Parts: sequence; C-alpha cells; structure tokens
Amino acid sequence: MNWTLVLPELVLALAGLAALVAGVLPKRDTSFAINMGVFGAMLLAAVLVMAQPEGTAFAGQYVSDAFTRFMKLLVLAGAALGLLVAMDWNVKEGLAKFEFPLLLLFSSLGMMVMVSANDLIALYLGLELLSLSLYVIAAFNRDSERSAEAGLKYFILGSLASGLLLYGASLIYGFAGSTNFDRIADAVSATEGVPFGLVVGLVFVLAALAFKVSAVPFHMWTPDVYEGAPTPVTAFFASAPKVAAIALLTRVAAGPFGELVEQWQQVLILASLGSMILGALAAIGQKNIKRLMAYSSIGHIGYALMGLAVGSDLGIRGLLLYMAIYLFTNVGAFAVLVAMRRNGRALEGIDDLAGLGRTDPAMALAMTVFMLSMAGIPPLAGFFGKLYVFLAAVYGGYWTLAVVGVLTSAVSAYYYLRVIKVMYFDAGEALDARPTSLSVVLAGTGLFTVFFFAFPAPFLAAAQAAVAALVG
Amino acid sequence: MIAALAFYVFAAILIASAVMVVTSRNPVHSVLFLILAFFNAAALFLIAGAEFLAMILVIVYVGAVAVLFLFIVMMLDIDFSRMREGLQRYAPIGAVIGGILFLELLFVFGSWQFAPDAATLRLNATPGPEVTNTEALGQLIYTDYIYLFQVAGLILLVAMIGAIVLTLRDKPANSKRQDIGVQVARAEAVKLANPPSRAGLGQLGIIRRPLPEAPKPKAVGHDHHDHHGGGHH
Amino acid sequence: MYVGAVFFPLLGACISGFFGRWIGDKAAQWASVICMALAAICGVSAFIQVAYGHAPATLEIATWLDVGGLQLSWALRYDTLAAVMVGMVTVASTMIHLYSVGYMSHDPTQPRFFAYLSLFTFMMLMLVTADNLLQLFFGWEGIGLASYLLIGYWYEKESANRAAMKAFIVNRVGDLFFMLGMGLTFWTFGSIEFNTIFQGVEAARQVTFAGFPVVEVIALLFFLGAMGKSAQIGLHTWLPDAMEGPTPVSALIHAATLVTAGVFLMARMSPVVEYAPNVLGFITFIGATTAFFAASVGMVQNDIKRVIAYSTCSQLGYMFFAIGVGAYQAAVFHLFTHAFFKALLFLSAGSVIHAMSDEQDIRKMGGIWKKIPVTYAMFWIGSLALAGVPYFAGYYSKDFVLEAAYAGHGWTAKYAFLMGIVAAFMTAFYSWRLIILTFHGTPRADHHTMEHVHESPAVMLIPLFGLAVGALFAGAYFSGDFVGHHWAEFWNGSIVNAPHNHIMHEAHEVPSWVPLAPTVVGVAGIVLAYVLYMFLPHLPGRIAAAVPGLYRFLLNKWYFDELYDRAIVQPLRRLAVQLWKVGDVKIIDGMPNGAASLTAQASGRVVRFQTGRVANYAFAMIIGLVLFVSIFLFGVGR
Repeated sequence: MNWTLVLPELVLALAGLAALVAGVLPKRDTSFAINMGVFGAMLLAAVLVMAQPEGTAFAGQYVSDAFTRFMKLLVLAGAALGLLVAMDWNVKEGLAKFEFPLLLLFSSLGMMVMVSANDLIALYLGLELLSLSLYVIAAFNRDSERSAEAGLKYFILGSLASGLLLYGASLIYGFAGSTNFDRIADAVSATEGVPFGLVVGLVFVLAALAFKVSAVPFHMWTPDVYEGAPTPVTAFFASAPKVAAIALLTRVAAGPFGELVEQWQQVLILASLGSMILGALAAIGQKNIKRLMAYSSIGHIGYALMGLAVGSDLGIRGLLLYMAIYLFTNVGAFAVLVAMRRNGRALEGIDDLAGLGRTDPAMALAMTVFMLSMAGIPPLAGFFGKLYVFLAAVYGGYWTLAVVGVLTSAVSAYYYLRVIKVMYFDAGEALDARPTSLSVVLAGTGLFTVFFFAFPAPFLAAAQAAVAALVG
Repeated sequence: MIAALAFYVFAAILIASAVMVVTSRNPVHSVLFLILAFFNAAALFLIAGAEFLAMILVIVYVGAVAVLFLFIVMMLDIDFSRMREGLQRYAPIGAVIGGILFLELLFVFGSWQFAPDAATLRLNATPGPEVTNTEALGQLIYTDYIYLFQVAGLILLVAMIGAIVLTLRDKPANSKRQDIGVQVARAEAVKLANPPSRAGLGQLGIIRRPLPEAPKPKAVGHDHHDHHGGGHH
Repeated sequence: MYVGAVFFPLLGACISGFFGRWIGDKAAQWASVICMALAAICGVSAFIQVAYGHAPATLEIATWLDVGGLQLSWALRYDTLAAVMVGMVTVASTMIHLYSVGYMSHDPTQPRFFAYLSLFTFMMLMLVTADNLLQLFFGWEGIGLASYLLIGYWYEKESANRAAMKAFIVNRVGDLFFMLGMGLTFWTFGSIEFNTIFQGVEAARQVTFAGFPVVEVIALLFFLGAMGKSAQIGLHTWLPDAMEGPTPVSALIHAATLVTAGVFLMARMSPVVEYAPNVLGFITFIGATTAFFAASVGMVQNDIKRVIAYSTCSQLGYMFFAIGVGAYQAAVFHLFTHAFFKALLFLSAGSVIHAMSDEQDIRKMGGIWKKIPVTYAMFWIGSLALAGVPYFAGYYSKDFVLEAAYAGHGWTAKYAFLMGIVAAFMTAFYSWRLIILTFHGTPRADHHTMEHVHESPAVMLIPLFGLAVGALFAGAYFSGDFVGHHWAEFWNGSIVNAPHNHIMHEAHEVPSWVPLAPTVVGVAGIVLAYVLYMFLPHLPGRIAAAVPGLYRFLLNKWYFDELYDRAIVQPLRRLAVQLWKVGDVKIIDGMPNGAASLTAQASGRVVRFQTGRVANYAFAMIIGLVLFVSIFLFGVGR
C-alpha cells in the first residue's frame, strides 16, 4: 500500500472538507475566502502532481505516470481557470455561495480519480463524483428555470449513460474475471480471436464515455445544457471535464483494450466523423453564442477523437496536444462570454457582441484570437492542434478522416468569422467594464494561444512522455 | 439441483416483475412490482452466497427507497393517460430498436466465452467455509478497496451538499418565526417602573394613545363661522 | 540583411499597430515607411548578392515542430527565386507604403492601416522565403488573413464587409486543396521540406495514389490551391469585389503580391510539377481560359478599378499558361514586370479617384487629362507596358510567354497561344478604352467635382515615378538574365526544368512572326479603341445594343456569381437550416417522460419538461448505442 502516491488527491479531499467546515461554521459570508482557498488548494495539488512519483497503489487501482501527470495538470488548470472566470459572475448574479468552489473542487477530485483510474470501479466512481458535482452546478442558479432544467436534463441523461457504463463494465468483468485494467489486458492477450462479450461490453463503456465528451450520437444534451447553465458553469463544462473524459477514453482504449484497436477504431472513426460534420454545420444557424460554442465544442471533440481513432502513438500525441490547446482557447473564449454584460444584465446573443471592436478593443482582439485559433488559422495554437491530428491521420492512411476534417474546419471557419465580423463591423453599445479576474484569464489564455507556435517544445515533450507511458 | 431450480424461479419472477414495472397502468402497482423485483434480486444474491448484499438490498431499497417512491407517486398528480398516448405513438420504433438490441445481446451471450484465468481471478462471495460473506466484505472494503470506499464516501458527501444547495432556503420570505431573545432585547419594548399605589395613568406620565375620535356631525354653520372671511363663497 | 528584409516589416507593423495610439498618426506612418524602406534596401542587396553573386543561402531561425520523426525548422531560404520575389515585394511595398501616406491622409485610423499593410508584407515575405511547405502555408494563410483585414478596412461599408468575407471564403476553398496537397506530400515523401521533397521526386514517380501517379495528384492539389489565391477562372470571383478596399491595398495585394503567390508556388514546386504532364496541360488550359475570360469581361466594365482588376486576372492567366508549358522562368519574369506596371496602374487609378473626389465610375469622368498631366502620363506608361508595346517592361515578358506557348507541345499550348493573342488584343483595347473614357472627351462629372480636380501631392507622385521606372526599364534590363541566354546561371537551380523540357531554348527559335504578333494585335487594339471611343463615340453603345445577349453576358462576368449562389451558397444554407431544425427544433414533440414529470411537481414546469426532449435525447442515445454495437458485431466478421 502506497499512501503517499495519492498525495495530490488526498490534499484536495482534505482541503474540500476543511472548506466545507469553513463555509458552514462561521456566521459571516466566507465565500470569497473559500474561493481563494480552493484556488490555492488546486495550485498546491498541481505542484504535488508535478512532484508525484510514478507507480501504482491500492492493489493496482490507482496509477500515476507521465500520462496522468499531463492530464491532471490540464484538468487542474482548467478547473482553476473556471473558478477564476466564475467568481465575479457569481457575485453579480447573487450566486456567491461557498458551495460553488467546493463543488468545483470535488469535481476536480473526481476528474483526478478518473485520470488515475486503473480499474473499472475506480473509473466509475471518479466519473460519478465528477458527474454528480456537474449536475448540481448546472442547476446552481436554482431560481432560473433554464438552469434547473439544464441540471435535470443532464442528470437524467447522465444517469442513463452511467447505466450503460455499468452494464458494459459488468460484461467486461464477466469475461475477464477482474476489473483491473492490467488483468483485463492480460485476459485480452491470452484469448484467441475476438470475444464478442468483451467487445460489446467495451462498446457500452465507450458509448458512456462518448456521452461525457459529447461526441455524436451522444451529443444531444450539449446544446441545451450549455445554454441553460450559468455561463461560467458552461465554461467549466466545456473545458476540464472534457479533458478528463478524453483521458479516460484514451486510457481505456489504448490501455487494456490496446490489442483490440481494430474493433473500437470503427466506432471512434464514426463518432469523430459525425461530430466534426455536425459541429461544423449545426452551428451555422445559431443566434445564441452559448449554443454556438456547444456545437463548436462538439466539433472540436470530433477532431480530438480523430487522433485516438487513428490508433497510433502519433495520433494519441496529437489528441493530447489538441486537448491542451482546446482547453486554454476555450476557457479564453468563454471568459469573453462571461464578460458580456450590459447594465448589469448578462447577455448571450451573438449580436450582443456588436461593436466590441470599438468599445473594448482589447477584449475584441482576444476574442478574435480565440475564434481564429478555433478555426485553425495559423500561426495560432489551434492550427497546430489540428495539424498534429491531421498529420497523424494522413500518416496512418486515414484519408476520409483527414479530408472531412479539413473540409469541416473550412466550413466552421464561417461561423467563427461571423463572430469576428459582428464584433468589428456591426454597431453596438458598450458592455459593462470587465472585472480584473477575467482580464487576467483573457491575457493568459490569449498569450498562450498566440505564442504557442514559438514555444511548442515543452508541450511536445510532455505529450511525448505521456504517450510513451500510456502505450509502453 | 435445488439451487438451480430456485435460481430459475427467482430469475423468472424478477424479469416478469421488471416488465410489469414498466407496463402496468397504475403507478402504484408499478412501485409494488418494483418491490417484488427487489425481493427476488435479494433472493438471487442469497443463492450466490452474498447474504450481506441480500439483506442490504431489502433494507435499503425495499425499506427506504421503494417506500419513498410509493409516497411520492401517491402524492403526485401525474397524468398517466397522456404519457401512455406518447408510448403508443412511439412504441413501434422503440420496439424495433429494442428488438435489435435484444437480438444482438442474445447473440453475444450465445457465443459467450471466458478469458482463461477468469475463474481464478474472480472473487468469491464466501472465500472459505469459516469466513462469512459479511466478514469477507469487511476485510476487503477497509483494506484493498479503501481508496474506492473513500471516493464513494465523497460521492455521498457531494450528493448531500448538492441536495442542500439546491433546496434549502435560509430565510423564506413569506414566513415569520419567533425569536424570544430578540423580542426581549428590544430597547423600548419593556419599561420598568415603580408606580405608587392608587395613582392614575395620567399622574404616572404614561400617555395613552387617544382613542380614535368619533366623527363629529358635520356642522356647516359652525364651520363657516370658524373660517371667517374665507372667501370661498 | 537576409533577416532584415523579412523582419523589418514586422517591426513596422508592431510599432504602428501597438504603439500607434501613443506616438500619433504621423509617427506611426513614417515608422512603418522607414521600416519598409530598410527592408527594401536589405531585399535589393539580398537579391543582388544571391542572384548575381550566385550565393544562395539558408538561414535557420528556430526549430519549430517535431512531429513523428519529422523535424521542421523555421528557416529563410534565399535562392534566386526567393530573392527575386523578396526584392520585388519589398520595393513595391515600399512604394505603396509611401503612396498611402498621401492617399490615406484623411483617414481617421491610419496606424491601423499601416499596421495591416506592413503585416501583409511580412506574411508575403514569410511565404516567399519559406523553406518548407508548412512555413509557406503560414505565409499563405497570413496573407489571406491580412487581405481580409485590408479589404474590409472600411468596415462601415456593407459592400466592403461582404467583399472581405467573400475573399476569405473563396480563398479558404483554395487553401483546402493546398492542405490536402501538403498532406499528400507528407504521405509521399515523409517530409515537407523542400530539399527532401525535391530529392525524392525521382523515387516518387513510381508511386501511385488511388490509381493515379502521386506526383500528378500533388501537382493538381497545389494548382487548385493556387487557383484560389491567384484568382483563376472558377475561383476568381473574389478578386473584382476585393476592389472595395482602399486603392493602395488593391495595388499591393491584387497586383503585386498576394495574387502572384499561386504563380510563385507553382514555380517553387517546379521540380515536382515538371513530372506531372497532364496537370501541366490542365494548368495551361485554365490559364489560357482565364486570360481570355478576364480580358473579355474587362472590355465592358465601368468601374476604373474593376477594369484593372480583370486585367490582373487576365495577366495571371498568362503566367499560368507559361507555367503550363514548362516556362516557369517566363512566368516569374512576367510576374516581376507585371508587379511594377500593374501597381503603377492601380496607384495612378488611385490618383485619378483622389482627384475626382472618390468617383470610380469611368462613365462619370472624362476631359481631365490637362488637369492632372503627371497622373495621365503615368497611366500611359502603365498601359503601354501592359499592352506589350515594344521596349516597355511588359513587352519582353509577355512576348516571351507567348513565344513559349507557341513553342510548347500539345494542343493546350496551341490553345494558349491563340487565347493569349486574342487576350493581348483585348487587353490593349480595354486599356485604351479606359484611358480615353477617363481622361479624354467631354467632362461627364458634375461641375462641382470638375472644379476640384487637382494633381496629387508629391508624396503620392514619387512612388509613381519609382514604379514607372520599373515599368519602363525592368523588362529591358532583366530580360537577358530572367529568360535570355544567361537564364541557367541566373536561376542557379532554383527553378528546375526536367531533362525532357527544352522550352527555354525552343522559345528562342520560333518563327519570326511570332514575336511580332502580340505587338501587332496590341497596336490594333489601341487603334480600335481610339476609333471607337475617341472618334466615333456613339458606336460602342450601338454595338452593345446590337448584341445585347453577349453584352449582358460579359457585363455580368459570365454569370459566375449567380451560378455559385444558385449551385453552392443556397443549397448549403438550406442544408444548414435543415440540420439545425433536426438538432434543435426537435421534430418529435410531445414525447412523454416519466422521470421528468416525477421530479417536476410544479404545474407550469411539467408542461415545459413534457415537450419530451429528454426522452427524445435518451432515445437517440440508445439508437446510437445499437448502431455502435451493430458496427462491432458486423465489423468483427470482417
């Protein structure tokens, strides 16, 4: 038993319990202090993750290697940025309760458990811890019907997905006699041919995970929930949990089922194609920018899945880099959405961005950078993300994927450009002054997006190490 | 032999009652069938030697969850006829999809195969003749599975926080509660005095609020007299 | 020096873009002009050193990528081809920057304009000095982006907005093919660095892709990419609309640099393209058709800038069919001279527009040549060079292009020669139509405008002189090196002709009437224009009335815009609306949901939930699952 290995999770859990006590006991409003405390705890956990030794713990249920390190850092960065983005919003909307940071903290803990999962049970529990927190924060603005509806919808569909996951897990357990990934891998390689039961179980698990990353055809909840949930919550939804679920998907597919690559590949190719096409086309008619971002995120997941569907080291590396770039670009773009507020009222229409080019040039510039990056225009970061996965697809000979990817990215450029067009070319009134916390997030993510091309080396190296750890 | 027979009987009832949960017209019946399903599932656990799980299932699911369900169903006014309408409309396509899935699963189980070491890897509900199922679970949960156990605990904690944050309202706007301390502490509410005996209220300096005066009869002439030279005539 | 030529424009862009607000308009302008001038000095000396000193160089700046055993560095590749382009781009851009100081003097946001202009130049330089396809693609996209910003510079104008969008989208179509070409190149050669690709061509000739020789497919994809940037027929629709941008932008982007990127790409990839004979035939065909098409449309347009835009389109057609017949040197030579005289024409047109108080319709001009004599003279020089009148720059390059087409093999080359001659006639005709309608005849502008007609300030005229020098002498001075007998040592291997390709020699040995033909038809065109517009001004109207169908066909630019709108834009929009309905508006309504109604006690909400969307979604999930399982089960058998 190696307790010290789980130090980051342990610290985060203890911080959560302490924050709970600190929130409940004093009579005063301590939400700001708890926000800061949770932020600090996340940073501390990130530092501990970086210092984490490699190995497994708890009879192989928990694993720590370069892959988990890469993904956990992303997850924690996403959660911390999500918290920063939400703070000011919550105060203005009267939602500044200490439970919000607490739920973010527990959801990050769930994501870390997911990323480190080396066992089907750990996978499920991590996923549930994450999901339960997400259901609650989706409905966090409980007096808003839309928010409550979003939370409920997500809860019901999420429960269905969990059911699928458990059913699939039971099939896998029935075949292999163990829930541990290493044992399952042994069982797979020891068996001649392709065991149907195992494969169908894997499909169920993949379907449930595809729900979490909102890949087609399990994407239907995404636009509704993104639109209904409070904007900073949507920002969080679209960033860290996606990364964690992708990590899990990658771990499951490439780890225990690595030898069945030809089986799961077909499903992922289909999901990737569907997501790219739907993300590109359905977003065109949108008027609500949160809905637009929902479809955009579906499309991005399609590109990311392309990396996994290719089934090569190169592809997985592309996937990891894609997620890293997507995370920062996305948080930045959502920071702009969170700042959309006029006369104290939050706005969600694309038209409400009109005139931003004149009234707030700095934010308009940042948004332009994010939109162009998402459209994949060089030399912004998003271009490299696409480049890595496309190259992997070409290298592996998956021409359909590459061609559809290029086509859909050309189509999706249209609606990203429309946002830019509205900002610069339409006339509109000024928004309220943006709070400092958002400016910090905007500047950080904006600089990352712009200057990624100059310093890609550390990211490349980290992703390479992660892939090496995963594939072995 | 008997165990196998019992298994099939319980399993058949379990499936039948599960079907009835979905199809029965009366929601109360649905819940009752659900309870029946739980009982049969518990019986299956017993056959497998997992007596602890069987009892927990009965206590938690039948004793708490299903009864709660029953209460809710009885208290809510749900228009089942409308729901049924949609069910009939979409029944064909639903049946087709369900049928395909069913056939596929049938096919999978028909060609089921186990991994070579599956039997040895699988955990036994009762590891030895002298170790009961409850003991075996206890030995595992707090040792090998402590990590998962703790995470499960956190999930329950989050569920609790979530329930509170979504429903609890600190100060309902439309109800007033009594707080004796506050009432007593009000500064002018209570005045201590030491009045001499036989003194009237006026002597003591206590001013009584004058009673609302009875409306005077309207005296036009008097009024006119008061406003001498008013000039509005 | 090498680095300076590329990075001075970036410096200028940063200064005027980021600090323009603090240092003021004047300082920002001159900062970017001075940076450009420094870049031009560097660029010209680099040109001299590389091209005449025969000292090609490659400069590494940073290691960029490391993807799957593929190392990419960001490097500046200076061979003769790149040096020619660098020299031309920096000089032309400097002239245009200087001109803009005067032209944009009344604009409220000048630093922004100069920042865009310098940024564009930097991106163009990135493109021409690229050492690998990715870097080239960076520049390629960068100039697309910068041109989007510049075309839409006057964003208050709705038409400018639309033109900018259109340019960007049409260019994206081209880029798509470029990306596919890049992907296929990577797949074939395992690298996208030029040196590796060029060395691997011999081996790759045996490789096939989907049944076709891979070299042909790659060449085709790159050509389709180039078609978008260089406005070849089919993807040309954005170019005339792009005239909504300020005139210096038209001169820089749509005459000298951006549109020639496609020609440059073809020349750069010459070692690969050489081995794709079928694609070369296709390029010839497209180029020749474009030359003819654009010239025919140019004859009837009435917007001064649009006429020149179509003429650009037509000249690009010449460059492409020169490439098609294998005479890359001739294409680059024509590109080089064209940059000078076409920029001169655009800037002169700008000067006219400036003088006419922003009037662009030539039907409302006329009779102004005495008032703006310098501009008039410049316009003449530009037009003479464009029409290919002897001893002007265009004469040498256009003549050689046509000689090469005559000497070329296959029916496409003959077709190109024919089309080229016809287009040369039409070019001369519309150029003089433009001159006569603009400068001569009775004034058709209102009195008020005519009073204000004035010569432009010196800051606008000096660049005109500079470019005029180029338009006068660039052809005569450089023809010996570019396409004359010294071409082999001049190009020094930066453009490759396959061993079976002797076009550069054969072009010198054509019958003696061939070099004369363009001149003759050019003069004939000029004479016809004089006859029709100077001496018999009523005749053109009558001719147009006599063949109304043809006239409308030309006036509406062969109906390309309408065709695209019907065939692509409308169906796509309809598809998007349909998809949106399916995904969003939910066709199936009223599907019940037990779980939702259990939870939502409140009366009003139940109704909302019972639109049944959740059940709908859940159902979709199950269908997806069944689909996946089926794929597995049937995929397993394979």
